Amino acid sequence: MIRALMLLRRRVVGSVFVLLIVVIGTFVLLEAAPGDAVDAYIVSTGGDAGMIELLRHRWGLDQSELTRLANYLWALLHLDLGQSVTFARPIRDVILERLPNTLLLMVSATALSFGLGSALGIYAGARPGSARDRFLSIGSLALYAVPGFWLGLVLIVIFAVDLRWLPIGGIETLASDKTGVDRAADIATHLILPVAALGFIYLALYLRMMRAGMAEAWRQDFVLAARARGLSRRRLVLAHVARNALLPLITMLGLQSAQMLGGSVVIESVFSVPGLGRLAQEAVASRDTPLLLGIILTSAVLVVVINLLVDIAYAFLDPRVGAGEAGA
Amino acid sequence: MSPARRFLRTPEAVAGAILLAALIAMALVALLFPGDPQAIAGPALLPPFQDWSLPLGTDRLGRDVLAELFHGARASLAVGLAAAAAALAIGSVVGTLAGFAGGLVDEVLMRITDAFQTVPSFLLALAFVSVVGPSLGVVVIAIALGTWPGPARIARAEVLSIRERDYVASARAIGMHPLEIAFREVLPNALPPVLAMSSVIVAAAILTEAALSFLGLGDPNRVTWGGMIAEGRAVLRTAPFLSIVPGIALVLTVLGVYLAGEGIVETTAVRRGLS
Amino acid sequence: MSGFTISRRKMLAGSAILLASTAMPNFGWAQTPKKGGRLVLAADSEPRNLNPAIVASNGVFFISSKIVETLAEASFDGKDGLAPRLALGWEGAADGLSATFKLRDGVRWHDGKPFTSADVAFSALQIWKPLQNLGRTVFKDLASVETPDDLTAVFRFAKPTPFQLIRNALPALSSVVPKHIYEVGKIEDNPANTAPIGTGPFKFGEYKAGQYYRLTKNTDYWGKDEPYLDEIIYQVLPDRTSAASALEAEEIQLAAFSAVPLADLDRISRVPGLKVITKGYEGLTYQLVVEINHRRKELADLKVRRAIAHAIDKDFVVKTVFLGYAATATGPVPKNDPQFYTADVPTYAFDVAKANALLDEAGYKKGADGNRFSLRLLPAPYFNETKQFGDYLRQALAAIGIDAQLVNNDSAAHIKAVYTDHAFDLAVGPPVFRGDPAISTTILVQSGIPDGVPFSNQGGYKNDALDALIAKASETLDTSARTDLYKEFQKEVAADLPLINVAEWSFISVARDTVGNIANNPRWAVSNWADTYLAG
Repeated sequence: MIRALMLLRRRVVGSVFVLLIVVIGTFVLLEAAPGDAVDAYIVSTGGDAGMIELLRHRWGLDQSELTRLANYLWALLHLDLGQSVTFARPIRDVILERLPNTLLLMVSATALSFGLGSALGIYAGARPGSARDRFLSIGSLALYAVPGFWLGLVLIVIFAVDLRWLPIGGIETLASDKTGVDRAADIATHLILPVAALGFIYLALYLRMMRAGMAEAWRQDFVLAARARGLSRRRLVLAHVARNALLPLITMLGLQSAQMLGGSVVIESVFSVPGLGRLAQEAVASRDTPLLLGIILTSAVLVVVINLLVDIAYAFLDPRVGAGEAGA
Repeated sequence: MSPARRFLRTPEAVAGAILLAALIAMALVALLFPGDPQAIAGPALLPPFQDWSLPLGTDRLGRDVLAELFHGARASLAVGLAAAAAALAIGSVVGTLAGFAGGLVDEVLMRITDAFQTVPSFLLALAFVSVVGPSLGVVVIAIALGTWPGPARIARAEVLSIRERDYVASARAIGMHPLEIAFREVLPNALPPVLAMSSVIVAAAILTEAALSFLGLGDPNRVTWGGMIAEGRAVLRTAPFLSIVPGIALVLTVLGVYLAGEGIVETTAVRRGLS
Repeated sequence: MSGFTISRRKMLAGSAILLASTAMPNFGWAQTPKKGGRLVLAADSEPRNLNPAIVASNGVFFISSKIVETLAEASFDGKDGLAPRLALGWEGAADGLSATFKLRDGVRWHDGKPFTSADVAFSALQIWKPLQNLGRTVFKDLASVETPDDLTAVFRFAKPTPFQLIRNALPALSSVVPKHIYEVGKIEDNPANTAPIGTGPFKFGEYKAGQYYRLTKNTDYWGKDEPYLDEIIYQVLPDRTSAASALEAEEIQLAAFSAVPLADLDRISRVPGLKVITKGYEGLTYQLVVEINHRRKELADLKVRRAIAHAIDKDFVVKTVFLGYAATATGPVPKNDPQFYTADVPTYAFDVAKANALLDEAGYKKGADGNRFSLRLLPAPYFNETKQFGDYLRQALAAIGIDAQLVNNDSAAHIKAVYTDHAFDLAVGPPVFRGDPAISTTILVQSGIPDGVPFSNQGGYKNDALDALIAKASETLDTSARTDLYKEFQKEVAADLPLINVAEWSFISVARDTVGNIANNPRWAVSNWADTYLAG
């Protein structure tokens, strides 16, 4: 427990620096962008020189970059993410509205790729070199080679347009006034296709890692010993081989969380899911610097927290890992 | 058994190598294709196998899909290789410096690495390309920006184990400059595990380029497979071949890169293990 | 190959017939509209500010025109092309210094308060003139609005203002918002900007960012028995391929503003239960224009500009980029404009040999590599078609020895590059013709506009004769004299080519054939939909 707390403190202190770098980096990147929020806004409206000046002043864009960065950081210190210029609403509210959708998508997709991936990995790794092992490993690799957006488009055409089994996009039936279990079921049906598109791609990762870990474990002494003891193959695979191969997969889970978040940008766009990824795309297009900062900060915090949880889980699962090593 | 023969005995690796060879051949043939692949060659949206001068048909503006496909092979390959090379170069330099210098330098470099790993790399690439404007070079940099932390970490871990070895100590003893030691003695020895990642990085770079093009952030002056899919998706159901053909090319290429890369890593790993 | 072209041609020729034939079996045009039902349609963007009095743009109108009404709406058969809405009658004084509006009686705001001339006066003086993107130009000389009684509003102008211009501006620029809501606090920060309150047939229901807008029936609407629909839901579908799929999957019943890509229309028109409608956008014409930076010495040469005009195969552009859903352009006023258009202007036939000869004549010989000079070409990213035309133009220029490098930017970067930094040689833009050249067309070629004004002459073009013509037209009160001046204007622009007008296009709607009363006015998609209904 103490070890976990120390780890926690170390990671939190380190994370503050990391987040500061992220904020300043994002700010500089977006400031370097040609065109600002007013340029992006004016595309759909047009307007004369006076109106443009008016807008720049109202949105505080006539202040210097340094002033704006300082103001932003100062507000951030008070846990205030600021006001979105394009939504004219507090950024915290805008993000909180989208975050659950992205989380739902990410968690389900991770569960799918991790669960199915490691299960198939165990199935394949139980008989290394067999036909099913080769088939699964190449098949999953082929899946890993498919661009996610492409898979999404194909799934929509087949399951939503032609067969009409599933909705083509969105997160729930619009303005349906459903509540409770009905609503949950509704959301679940909407999630099937995007989760499949996102999850199947990463399936190969866990499958192959599991397989490789198991191949390693087969050669280890304790497995050989257990084998010599005449343990049934099924028990051997599940209790010894697979269990040992599982640990690196958990680390991968943490590392993948950032990638999953990135992958969901395209998937959210293809399936019209109102999540953080699509919001980020909108924020870039509308040059809404504080909004993009808020999103990147939120996802960074998310990634940091997930990795922290993974580290803690790891520390508990594997007594060999000391708090010191898990850092940096 | 020599590594080459071992490689040839692995069917997956051979399949990968064949796919890659086909890709490289396509890219080279494209060099011989004179003229502009974006030139308007015939009527718009001609389906494949209708006109033998345009075997794969034409796109929305009447451009030759086959010529585009060949030129696209070049762009995909170029982006994949260049982005991977850049990511590996940045990663190994940063990793070597951090691991070798230790202390504050290590701390700072690793926090920066953390920062880059914390931001979803695709989001970073998306923002970077939107901001700087899409061209092949910018796309390469954008992809490399999100990819280098992985190699950096591996290089650092490797350097940490190498830096205590005898030959490093002796280099220190003869008074070699620390930077010279880092890059002459340590880095080359830390490279193999970093290079082992290259096939994954090349493949990821090709896919990222395609996804960026899909969102409309590709270089407009060059044909890329991602760009072809992006153009084709508006007519996905009217002229599915326009998205299917480059899509298949993409999948086969990425698969080829994975398989061949894995084959190389496995055969060389075994050799290293034996020696 | 030939089979393909035939099917395309047949389809284009038959689009009007198609409309009727797929529609007939289910309902006739004369059928009595049915009451009730929920219309679900695709929306590809999410405007944050829904106040059409401040933001007069099609994206905002698409949603808010059902909630907030204008003084008058465009009409196919009404006098001067208008139909009354909140105003029943309008008249301009002969001296151009005043205009009188007679307002509709018995109209109530959605919160129950009565609508009066005070609301019109407030909207005009406090919003249209100082805050509205287009109103700032058209109403710049508006000095005061008198309200002798609750149903009369008299606009007083400081300088003579052509009533033709005011009249033409009514459908887009005259959204009336409630004074009692807006007189408290800053207008720009008013909550009614995101949840508008108006007099229209529908009330604002709710907005779920990234998902939908919901409008509900206004049971207290002034129109007899209107509206027919109970609810309108705008489903946010930002991906351009999803609208067609959603229509086919029967998740939505209507996709307006060409949400279904042009290339998909041929196929979707054959899907049972769906109809493709090309009418209803006559009042919203977009123009495909090549913007020219006259600071480049090659482009400052009229011969080079003429050569470029000759190098563009406008028929090919209409046929291939727009798949026939457009018309070739002759000048800065679109052919479908009933008041100002003239065909009597210099034209530039597609002629590569002539273009090459003109360039040789101008002194730009082909180099060893076949190139005369290089250019930066910036296609505007807002429409698929502007980008595709950019691809085409690059090829067309290559044919006459001009090497064009495409520069793709997102919207914000494009606006900045072209209109503020002037970092372009050629750009492809889609300006909108808004019913009168003085609203947003003359600004495209007029000189003396400050840097940074979008959709204006930022190419450094200056032509004193043209400037004088524009100035004279803006103060000419007599309608026919004013119209003649704008015909003169079209001739001069076509002759001197400050920019090159290539094509004019509008939008396409795709709907399930149960949706009735579609496209019954020239601005249908952005009108109030009080009579739209769902059959069966």
